[in-house]
Amino acid sequence: MENEIALLHNYLVVGAALFGIGMIGFLSRRNMIIMFLAAEMMLQGVSLSLVGWSRFHGNFHGQTLVIFIIAVAACEAAIALALIVVLFRNRGKLDVTVLQDLREANEPAFEEEPLPELPSTETDNWPTLTPAGVTPEIESEQTDYRPVI
Amino acid sequence: MLETRWILTIATAVGALGMWWLLPSREPRGRVAGAALLAIALGFGASQVPPIGNWAEQGIFFVLATVTIVAAIATVTMTNPVYCAIWFALSLLGTAGLFLYTGAQFLAAATIVVYAGAILVTFLFVLMLADPGGRAACDRTSWESLVSATTGVVLIGVLSITVAKVLDGTGGDEMITTLEPAKNAVLAEQHVLAIGAELFGRHLLAIEVAGVLLTAALIGAAAIVAQSGHRLKKNDQ
Repeated sequence: MENEIALLHNYLVVGAALFGIGMIGFLSRRNMIIMFLAAEMMLQGVSLSLVGWSRFHGNFHGQTLVIFIIAVAACEAAIALALIVVLFRNRGKLDVTVLQDLREANEPAFEEEPLPELPSTETDNWPTLTPAGVTPEIESEQTDYRPVI
Repeated sequence: MLETRWILTIATAVGALGMWWLLPSREPRGRVAGAALLAIALGFGASQVPPIGNWAEQGIFFVLATVTIVAAIATVTMTNPVYCAIWFALSLLGTAGLFLYTGAQFLAAATIVVYAGAILVTFLFVLMLADPGGRAACDRTSWESLVSATTGVVLIGVLSITVAKVLDGTGGDEMITTLEPAKNAVLAEQHVLAIGAELFGRHLLAIEVAGVLLTAALIGAAAIVAQSGHRLKKNDQ
């Protein structure tokens, strides 16, 4: 069966490509969430290889391992997103450089060079509705707990 | 006719350049040149994998693999994080299709339900907390894009060359033997029954441990976020 070897070959190559692309993303991107997506993509690449091997050997060992990978990835996503939410609350950024306080004492700090300004996307002429009816009177106790926008 | 490894080496070099071109940079570069370089690299790479059957089988596999890889490339190169997440969803759908293609029906469904349905939506929730427009400095620049693109693409190239060498039988001494389709348990008619029997037979303990792990992760995530909110409130007072 030449065909089964060809199929395994294709799956291993696609799995390797997904793994490598995920690695590029993890190494180069600075947004913590995208780094995390890239890590998930590396897991997908490994899963593809495992499923390819599972087909090749004709048993379920590879597929079972992929099921556990999915379970562990779900746990990992929950914990990591919780940590990212906490970091974002503290620092107000998703940038991974907020973690640079953890560097060695003799390492210089990373300093952001100013980026060129992007063209503004704010529009001057928002659509408006013709005012109609009367403004309802709101009791003061209702306005008390309204958030200030 | 060049040898496989030389073609794959050329594909690696072209692919690394294309990846570097597409990664976010200080001065925005156009996407077209990078996409063209990557298309050339993917074409070279695809020319070096063996055909897997008649044109219909080959075509379906080719479409699924292309969707998966192109969406993966877009995931790591888009500047807007929301687009990244959505391209990642497309990549997951392609992966699920590839799972289905090779006979892993349960895994295809599980990938769509768990990854695309649950994990990705959580990602989008968290993304909406932050500036989702891709205008932040951390979305518009990347670390050492040339070095990291080269690292990743060289890894892909080396793995592809190794796989080609081993599976073509030119690298290893031992013969590769394959199963008859009739004896292949993965292709059996009652696929989900078989995988369930495997999971709850041989791997019963591991399944229980995975359940405990999921519960622990859920409680841990809730505890981390709740405690930090409590602390922030204390600091405000």
